Amino acid sequence: MSSSTRDDDERPIPLRVANQKAYVWDVEDVARIRSKYRLCGILAGTLPHLSQQNVFLGIPLVLLPEEVVLLVEQGAAILIDDPAAHKPPSPAQIAQWHAEQTESMKTQLAGIESKNAKESQGGGRALSEEAQRKRKEREERKRAAKAAKALAEGEEASVFTPASEAAPAPVASPSKTEERESSAATPSNTKESSSFFPFQQTSSSATPHTIVVPAPSSSLPWYDPSSCSYSTIDAARAAGVWSYPATLEERARCGVFKSLWEQGYFMGIGIKFGGEYLVYPGDPLRYHSHFTATVLEAPTTTLRPMEIVAHGRLGTATKKAHLLCGWDDDKKEVSYLSIEWAGFG
Amino acid sequence: MDESLELPNVHLQKPADIVAAEDDEQASDDEDGGLDWTKLLPAALRPVIPKRGEKEYEPRTGTAGGESGLQVHVLERSRAAMFETLKATRTTSSKAISYGIWHPHLARAEVTVMKGIHFSSMGHSAPRQVLDSDGTEKLQKRLELLPEEAIYLIERGSMFCWKESNLDLQQLEGVDGVPMTVQQAYSEMIGTEDLTLEKFQVFAYLKRLGYVVTRTRPPNEHYPTATPLSVAVSSPSVLDRVRRLFGGLASGLRRVFARFDWWHPLNTSTCFLGIRNYGSLFRSLRFIPTGHSVPLNREETNQKDSPYQIFYNLYKPSTPFKKSTPPAPDFQIVVINARTTPMPTLQELTNLFDILPEQPLPLPRQKRLANGSQVEAKPVPSAPAAPLPSTGFCQRLFPWAFPTTAPVTQGRRVNPFMALKNGKKMIVIAVVDAGNIGFFKFSEGAFSEWPMA
Repeated sequence: MSSSTRDDDERPIPLRVANQKAYVWDVEDVARIRSKYRLCGILAGTLPHLSQQNVFLGIPLVLLPEEVVLLVEQGAAILIDDPAAHKPPSPAQIAQWHAEQTESMKTQLAGIESKNAKESQGGGRALSEEAQRKRKEREERKRAAKAAKALAEGEEASVFTPASEAAPAPVASPSKTEERESSAATPSNTKESSSFFPFQQTSSSATPHTIVVPAPSSSLPWYDPSSCSYSTIDAARAAGVWSYPATLEERARCGVFKSLWEQGYFMGIGIKFGGEYLVYPGDPLRYHSHFTATVLEAPTTTLRPMEIVAHGRLGTATKKAHLLCGWDDDKKEVSYLSIEWAGFG
Repeated sequence: MDESLELPNVHLQKPADIVAAEDDEQASDDEDGGLDWTKLLPAALRPVIPKRGEKEYEPRTGTAGGESGLQVHVLERSRAAMFETLKATRTTSSKAISYGIWHPHLARAEVTVMKGIHFSSMGHSAPRQVLDSDGTEKLQKRLELLPEEAIYLIERGSMFCWKESNLDLQQLEGVDGVPMTVQQAYSEMIGTEDLTLEKFQVFAYLKRLGYVVTRTRPPNEHYPTATPLSVAVSSPSVLDRVRRLFGGLASGLRRVFARFDWWHPLNTSTCFLGIRNYGSLFRSLRFIPTGHSVPLNREETNQKDSPYQIFYNLYKPSTPFKKSTPPAPDFQIVVINARTTPMPTLQELTNLFDILPEQPLPLPRQKRLANGSQVEAKPVPSAPAAPLPSTGFCQRLFPWAFPTTAPVTQGRRVNPFMALKNGKKMIVIAVVDAGNIGFFKFSEGAFSEWPMA
């Protein structure tokens, strides 16, 4: 993946900000943030076709505010006021969009009719040309990656279906849940709406086709972030788009996060381990974390003995050392102290 | 090494299995992101949720410094698989997809085409002024979705949503507004109708698990409210207040007239009744008012400002749910943002418990026999069902004058710890730290009603 977007690497990553939260909607950007900038964020969306589970979530990636501040300060990302970037489309744009949709639907239906329904591809999807080009590239890469993988594992490539056929969701096989749902569906419409919906109309005929609910807005012709992009935290703050960090506590968190990040660590959320962050020596995909970090607002912050006992106890139980990170707001420095149960007796 | 997992006949969507897989010997290390994405692919084929791969302790120092070649390779593979899975698009058959129109000024999505089982537990009908084809306005009922319901359906690819638009779309067949992306739904719908990202994440999390989730406080008058809670615990009525006033007065009087001696609290009792056994001795020693009916000795804080407000009602998937007249909820949930909200104060918890219904005390856990088989579940009806009734005013004043009513079981002693721990009232608090959701249960322990002696 990291080799895929070399020419793209200098472009700042657009972070879509709404309600003081920063989202990443493009998988390429998620990959860059993870591989190049060693930041994980948290996947928050329902994974399409696996929508009844919470173990694997999908796009969007929600970044921690500390990660956002870090990325913007590194010049790696810009903040976009997302609600403002969704401009109302012009009549020509919406007509164009509609034409593309109709076209793709026709292509699909024609494809379905000419081919056996089971073999039909979801070709000519409801995507703009830009997105289609992107997808072709992706498929190309996927095929390459797959070949490489198969080679590396010394496996027969033929075990897998050819990559070209691995394109998402053949029309004729909706997932099990969907089938169940549609069979249990109440076909009662509150309105006489079929005349308003050509999609609906055609679906009353025997051949259903695929409708795509688009995820990122960047492919929409009327999505225009140019007038509401901010390349610094201060600019975004002045515009009322982004306010983190506003307090000493938030500054301390940003400082500690950055300090750990600069030393090559990956950070995850540590609330379930009694701290602010989990500190990983490498990508959390492959490695266990070694520390649970707590942020102290000043090196002179008072600690209660009970806290030390609790941290030591919990850290031992989870095979981690507890890390106390004292932030010095004057010197902009962090001092570290780790607590571990001494192994006597 | 995992060929068997890549076969398409491995079945998915068994939460119990997933939990079990997660729950192996590494349970304590079950961190977020600790998943092996290599097993998830390809997205287009029937996806499979695999067992988690084994993690390593740390990057080994290879020849180039940093990770060894093998580790880099395995990591690259995991990442590639993860990104590939993320690329899956939301494709739905035209026969199964619903349509909606988002009205920003109402903060509601109007459902125009209804497909699938979701609408048996989502959406509510509301009468709205609609313009008829002949130009006259009339009141018509229509199905509307709250913002969280709309985002959820859009996100899982079950609904295509338009945004209300004043463009002239007459000649464009089938276009009811500006098409919305999932991104736009997140950006524009969150922040309306009290919805925050945290609340949406909790909603979606529970919906993905199959729960029915509704708002506790109806956002408008058309939203159906749940059946009044089974045992309505009144906010202090006039009578209560009078009683409380007299209670305070009485305890003052008692102190004056009965010349209550803190060093010899048993004097009065011994005079009248004598101490027959330990039970009566301990009872007569219980002169400090206890229990949850005793008001907190604190100033009432403004309840409206507290972030600890019940937000969602929760129904188990098995609960028969009727949308228009929802039954009493199985759980109620408070959602807070861990980054801005401190632990609840005693007052905040008390305020929550004051409006919650009383649940029957849980039955004591069944003892396990030595051979591991469970004891035949014998109902223990009387003991937990009828605990000590809250002591009345007279009773508190003259404890010796009332015969004992403590729930002492005859014969086998019931282990009371489940009852003590769970109590009669329970609230679930969902703590969200930047997308990481934790559910915490707070119970009002029933210690005063289960005296140990």
